[in-house]
Amino acid sequence: MSALSLSTPILRIKALNLHFDEGRIKALNGVDLDVREGEFVSIAGPSGSGKSSLLNVIGTLDAPTSGELVFRDQPYSKIGDASLFRRENIGFIFQAFYLIPTLSALDNVIVPTIGCDGTADEYKAHAEALLTQLGLRDRLHHFPGKLSGGERQRVAIARSLINRPRMILADEPTGSLDSANAAQVLDILTGIVKEQGLTLIMVTHDATVSARSDRIIRMRDGKIEQGASA
Amino acid sequence: MNLFRFALDNLYRRPARTGLTVSAIALGIAAVVALTSIAWGFEASWQKANDARGTDLIVTKMTSENTMPSPFKAEKVQQTLAGLPHVKEVVGLLSEMLTVSNDAPPVFVFGWVYGSYLWEHLKLVDGRWPASREEPVVVIGALAAEMLHKKTGDQVEIEGRVFQVAGIFESSAVVENGALLMTLDMAQQVTDKPGKVNVLNIKMDADATEADLRSIKEQVKQTLPGFVAITSGELVSKNAVVRISKAMSNATILIAGLVGALVVFNTMLMSINERTREIGILLALGWQRGTIIKLIVSEAVILSVAGGVVGIVMGVGIAWGLEHIELMRGKIDAIFSMPFFFAVMGLSVLLGICGGFYPAFKAARSLPSAALRYE
Repeated sequence: MSALSLSTPILRIKALNLHFDEGRIKALNGVDLDVREGEFVSIAGPSGSGKSSLLNVIGTLDAPTSGELVFRDQPYSKIGDASLFRRENIGFIFQAFYLIPTLSALDNVIVPTIGCDGTADEYKAHAEALLTQLGLRDRLHHFPGKLSGGERQRVAIARSLINRPRMILADEPTGSLDSANAAQVLDILTGIVKEQGLTLIMVTHDATVSARSDRIIRMRDGKIEQGASA
Repeated sequence: MNLFRFALDNLYRRPARTGLTVSAIALGIAAVVALTSIAWGFEASWQKANDARGTDLIVTKMTSENTMPSPFKAEKVQQTLAGLPHVKEVVGLLSEMLTVSNDAPPVFVFGWVYGSYLWEHLKLVDGRWPASREEPVVVIGALAAEMLHKKTGDQVEIEGRVFQVAGIFESSAVVENGALLMTLDMAQQVTDKPGKVNVLNIKMDADATEADLRSIKEQVKQTLPGFVAITSGELVSKNAVVRISKAMSNATILIAGLVGALVVFNTMLMSINERTREIGILLALGWQRGTIIKLIVSEAVILSVAGGVVGIVMGVGIAWGLEHIELMRGKIDAIFSMPFFFAVMGLSVLLGICGGFYPAFKAARSLPSAALRYE
């Protein structure tokens, strides 16, 4: 029995439904899932199977139609301010990076801290440290247009970590990268996640990526076919 | 990186739209600044002229609401006023706007009682004053001399009669600097208004108090039906031209405010529609809805403040230009003050907030997942 399996669940999902168009479209249809603290879970499945929808609901970007979600003993239904919850607990990484093109790499990393209580110097130092750790020390003031795909995704990873979240939600983070860059980004991401004891839930089509996760969840038609329990 | 810098950056990356919006706001603010400063300056320059003469009260026909109140026979009224307590001097004044040169626009021609206190505040810079009440000469304000290209010893033709320029004077009031001055007797002759004046100026003795002024006003009301005794400020504020110019200035403020707010509204609405996905990213990254509202409103306020600053500079320039065109020289004296500029900036900020609030609210209501899917 591994140490991971003994750890407490960071996320518990029961009978989760996400329906659109008055119930005609069932993006999620009765999903049950437990994710443990520090676990790396990959979600695989064909397009339209509900992978990204599940990630969006976990990340409070979408509100479920019904079902129960609990994050560290806090039911989602009791979350007053979803934005604040995201800022304090969740880091997002997207396939298309979603960097702001007119901001430097450093400023892109700092953006999520705008409106937070800390000082600008504090956030700047943290952002520089993260970018340095991700091998972008000499790219701090480069704009996204001057960075390679791998470098952009590393900036996005740094951005997801700036507010010291407990859980990273990554939607096909290597989907836009060539295999060499994909491997490098994955190495960096998994390394940081392990080092900081973070939970990583990653949607991926790539079998080599999901093979590196602690658990693979397979979805189809809005349901989990395999890997629901740790 | 902070919210303000981020807002600035968002505006900087759309230079054409930002420039057009700032220009539109600036035009509105410039119109407000120019018209308001001229309206106030018009009022102030007339009051300054009255105050500079040392007049305590002005008696005129109650129904007169022009810059130059309707002329009336002065003799009986003057005698009644002279008998009131604390009244030191009562002198008539006749004024007309007349053409004195084919090359220049009409100018004010004042007729003042020869030897009265009205002349005392003027500074003679060349020549001499009229030597008697019947001497057919004029003295010219420095600005009028420049506009009419006249100097001491030249001649001017007024209403078909030739007058010699006896001297040139300066006054602290622009309306006097741009005017021609002759004795009241000459003015009555040349305008064919014998014995008539537009107003009677009352100078009180040194012991007179505010209560004495109020008493004179009351006595004029009771003993001279159809006449009214008012201060120069009251006369000017009742003046129809001042009222019209102030009404136009207020209308301009209203229109400029509405147009400015609509311009900001349109710009910000287009901006947030273009940035739907970016707003979704910010929300996904943990930005609170309040922070989104602050960002959009900040951008709107930056636009309007920039428009306000440019508009003030343009408005001052327009007012200065109007003061110096031939038609207006010597008639208006635009006034500016820091409180006025602060008020204009306040108006700019207000229209930024008004124009930016709905787009900000709309952006903040975006559902992050829908915004991220937006193409």
